[in-house]
Order: sequence, then structure tokens, then C-alpha cells
Amino acid sequence: MDILSHLTPLFFGLIAAGTLIGIIFGAIPGMTATMAVAVCLPLTYAFGLENGIALLLGLYVGGISGGMVPAVLLNIPGTPSSITTTFDGYPMAQRGEGERALKTGIVASIFGGLFSAAVLFFFAPVLSDFAIQFSNVEKFLIILLALTVIASLCSNMLMGIFSGVLGVWLSLIGTYSIMDGGNGETRLMFDWMEYHLIDGFSLLPVLIGIFGLTTVLLDAENGFKDEAAQGPISLKNGKRFSFGVFKGQLTNLVRSSGIGTFVGMLPGVGGSAASVLAYSQEKNFSRDSSQMGKGAPQGIVSSESSNNALTGGALVPLLSLGIPGDSTTAILIGAFTLQGIQVGPLFIGNNLDTWYLMIIALVVANFLMFGIMYFAIRRIAKVVEVPKYILYPLIIMMCVVGAYAINYGIMFDVWTLLIFGLFGWVAHKIGLEVVPLIIGFILGKSAEVYFVKSLESYGNFSIFFTKSPIAMVLWALIAVSLAFAIYLRLRNRRETRTTTVS
Amino acid sequence: MESHWLSLLDVSIDFDQSHLFFPRIVTWVLVILLGLILVTRYRRVMPGIQRAGRVLAGREGHFDHKRFFGTLILTTLYFYLMGVLSDVFPNTGYSFLIMSVVFVLSLSLLYLDRFTPRLLTIVILNALIAPTLAWYVLSQLFRITLP
Repeated sequence: MDILSHLTPLFFGLIAAGTLIGIIFGAIPGMTATMAVAVCLPLTYAFGLENGIALLLGLYVGGISGGMVPAVLLNIPGTPSSITTTFDGYPMAQRGEGERALKTGIVASIFGGLFSAAVLFFFAPVLSDFAIQFSNVEKFLIILLALTVIASLCSNMLMGIFSGVLGVWLSLIGTYSIMDGGNGETRLMFDWMEYHLIDGFSLLPVLIGIFGLTTVLLDAENGFKDEAAQGPISLKNGKRFSFGVFKGQLTNLVRSSGIGTFVGMLPGVGGSAASVLAYSQEKNFSRDSSQMGKGAPQGIVSSESSNNALTGGALVPLLSLGIPGDSTTAILIGAFTLQGIQVGPLFIGNNLDTWYLMIIALVVANFLMFGIMYFAIRRIAKVVEVPKYILYPLIIMMCVVGAYAINYGIMFDVWTLLIFGLFGWVAHKIGLEVVPLIIGFILGKSAEVYFVKSLESYGNFSIFFTKSPIAMVLWALIAVSLAFAIYLRLRNRRETRTTTVS
Repeated sequence: MESHWLSLLDVSIDFDQSHLFFPRIVTWVLVILLGLILVTRYRRVMPGIQRAGRVLAGREGHFDHKRFFGTLILTTLYFYLMGVLSDVFPNTGYSFLIMSVVFVLSLSLLYLDRFTPRLLTIVILNALIAPTLAWYVLSQLFRITLP
């Protein structure tokens, strides 16, 4: 009953604070759940593991949910995953049904969130138990599979693969650590860099730079011109919200939550993919989809339940394999490392209390999100008006704290923030894909260790194909994901050609 | 016969050089991919670079030079001066506090579209209160290391 001793008022207070801050971040266009987690990281340094997790999961759930507010009121998705909410939410708001649209979204969100938490609870331990049997060969192939899946789902596969490999390359800068069985020599740098880069670039400053500073730079380049062109519209004139909206929506809810959870599990596939997929499936399968896109609540239901279902889904590969499911969980992996926790197949078994606390925090965060948003939606709707000239300087300031404190006061980590903030901006401009890059960066060092260790033990490259049936299955999956991506690409090309011809 | 073919895949990693084994492979993969990208889309690469040059030079497209480069310069100065000042006040977080007030104020002013007394008051109050609050909570209450 050790676990009960962690369920303190502070624990619940932090979930509530996290959820609220997350909702606010999500509600501000251009700021995402990832950024909320990145900016609030320094706060978790002060707390222990359990309380830190409470805050982070609250931020995650709140951040994803808050995205619907500007989607409905301003036609701007607050987070990428609420893009499909704009399709029906904004038309509803224009009819004066803003509050109805938001409340429909809130109820759908809590359904999706709890659905995926349940999947996480039952599925992650099974997957970990399975993954414990993996040797270095299979672990390397899992990472290869993760990178292939991410890259193959990018809009440009070649760029996606290149970005992933570039991420791996960047992660290798530094020492081949003796702790991992390496020889302690440095590589991929000049001698004069050794002083700063002996341990390579720290993960969190890199992430905070790419997700925090890059956003500021991209907006600065635009000169903040497209900020709320039209003022928020009035929330209620038309039809009021009632739970009757959900009549006949159960299939939609379950299907969309299922899609969201599944897409969340695929490493590196962003939230927008989940909601777009769920939305299009609802359009294909529902009995009456004629109103979708013109302000039908069913569109909001599918979009919001699927994007909230991402939360639990994305935590599955993180906690059972140590592979982050999206950019927010990529930052969570850094936060765990900071608290001395190694996520991977052994995580759940070795940290049973922490695991249960995470599930509790996730469920509580969903209920709190519901409570806060359902009853305070009119106040939250005001957040979309907070000006960027107030927010952005503060965000950079908080990024500095996060980067500096990570290794207890290294100024170079702050410079890393700037380097990668600028790098993120350039990457955006030349069409590099940020998510595969980040996942490659996170997994690169482990990939090296598994790869080199496998070859040191077996002395032959063929071991990667012949080690075990699991290895062969993994290769088959890699081939399938590549083939699927190429098939999709060819089909798209054919379709565009037919449309241009006709 | 089969074992003969498999022996082609034999590899032995010299421990002294093991730190270079994987990075070399990754570097080669990276170079090959870059080559592929350049070959398959060379028609788009050169015009893209030229266009980027024109945009940066301000001859084409919309690019807010003042705000973009202003952000970069202010951030660089902020980081640099914070480092310098933290040698003057080591382990107190004062360097962070002082520089943050200056930085938040200057960046807000850079981003402001028009200057009215009301907006200026809000910006100045924000620049004074927010960093002080952050400094107090993080460094004094939570004992987090600040520059």
C-alpha cells in the first residue's frame, strides 16, 4: 500500500495545475502541448518522480484538449491534432453554437482520453513482457522499424528517412561511453569542441530549442500578422448543448478513440494523422455524413475523441519499449531520464508503484480536464486573446531555465537551445521533418550500442536476419511499412494525374 | 557453399576503433541519402536556394527582418550577457533575474505593433513582474540552479 502514500493533496494539486496550464497553452494558437511540457519542465526538477509525473501528464492531457478552443472559435487549430475540429467546430461557432461545439468536444475528449488510458493499462504490460525477451539484435531492429514507420508516413519519404538518420548522426556526437561498453573515445567533432561536447548535446535543451525557440522564430519571421484576424465570436446564441448530441454516436466514439490510440502507438506519427484518419473514417462509414464539414457535431466527436486518445496510445511504446510515440512523449522520456528512470521493457515491472501512479494521474487528469473545461469554458475562451508580445519573451525565458538547470548549471546547454532553435527553423525551411529527426536523436545512441554489441557477439552481419523468428517478423514489418508508403505515394500520384488530366 | 557466402558478411570490430564503427556507417548512409535527394530533386533544389536568398535579402515574399533578426540578436545577447554576469554574481540567480527583465522588456517592445501608454505600461509591468516571480519561485522556493 505504498502507493497510497503518494496520493497526497500535492499530487492532485499538481495534476490540476498541469491540466490548467496545459489547457491554456493548447488554447493559444501556435503553442502546443509539447511546448507546455518543455516550458514547465524546470518545475518538475524541484519535485520527486511521482509529483513530477503528475504535473507532466496533466500538461499533456490539458495541452491536447485545449487545442479545440481556438479551433472552434478562430478556425485556427491550437495544436496540430485539432485541425479536423475546425472543419465542423468553426461553422457551428459562426451559427452561434460555439459553446455547444466546445462542450461536445470536451465530452468526446474525456471519452477518448479514458479509452486510451484503459488500453495503456492493459496493453503496455503485455508488450513489455514480450519485449523483455528481446536481445540486442531485436532491440536494434525495433528502433529501425520505428524509424522506418515514421519516415514512411512523412509527406516526403526520402526527406523523412534522411531526417531520421540525421537525428541518429547528431546523437552520436560525443563519447562512445564506457558505461555502455564503449571505449570512451570521442567522435564526429574537432578537438577544440571536446570541452563542451564530451557528452554530446543534452537531449532536453535540443528538444526545448526545436519546439520552443523555433516556434518563436517562425512567428517572428511572419511579424505576428495572422494573429486573430477576426475577434472571437460570441459563444452562445443558437442551440444549447445537451448530451442528446451523443445519441447514436457510440460507434463513432469507439472507432475514433480506437484509431487515435492505435496511431498514438505508432512512433513519431503526429496527432494530426490520428484526427484526420478518424474524421475521414467517420465520413466514410457514418449513415449520414452530408452535414460533415458544415457544422455537424459528429465531426467534432470523431476529431476530439481521436486526438485525446493519442495520449494513452503514445505512452504505450514509451513505457514498454522506450520509444516515444510523439513529440510530447519525446520530452517525457527526457524528464524520466532526469529523474533517474530508464523507460523500456523493464520499466513497469521494476517500478510498479510509479506505473500505477501514472495511470491514476492520467485518469485524474482527464476528469480534471473535463471539469475545468466544461464549467469554465467561457473564461478559457478568453485565453485565445492573450497577445504574443507578452507570451513569447516569457517562453524564451522559461526555455533558458529548463536548459540551464538540466545538468545543474551548464551554460553550454543554453547555447544548445539557441543552436537547435535556429537549426529547427532552418530544418523547417528546407523541408526536413522534425519528428523523425527528434526520434532518431533520442534513439541513436541506443541503436549504436545494440548494433555494435550484436556484431561483437556474433561477428557476422547475417545475425540481424537469422537471430530469431521475431527478427524475421520485424524485417517483414519494415518491408511492409516501406511497401505501404510507396504504394500510397504511387496511388496519390496517379490520382493527382487523373485530376489534372480531367 | 552457403557458409562461404555468409563469411562475406563476417565482421570483427577492433575495440580501439569501435567508437568509429557505427558513426562511419551512419555518415555513409547520410551521404548516400543526400546524394539521392539531390539527384531526384535537383530541379527544385537550386531554385529553392535562390528563392531563399531573395527572401532573406528582402526582395521577395514576406519576411519580417526586423523581428526575426531582432529576436536572434536579442536572444544571443541575452545568453551571452547572462553568462558574463553570472560570474559576477555566482549561484544567486541574480544574473538571470536582471538579464531576463531587460530581455523580456526589449523583446516585447520589438514585437509591439503600436505604442500606446496603456500597452507600454502592460509591457513594462510584465517585464518586471514575470521574471521576478519566476526567479522567486524557481530559485528561492524550489532551489533550482539559475545562471
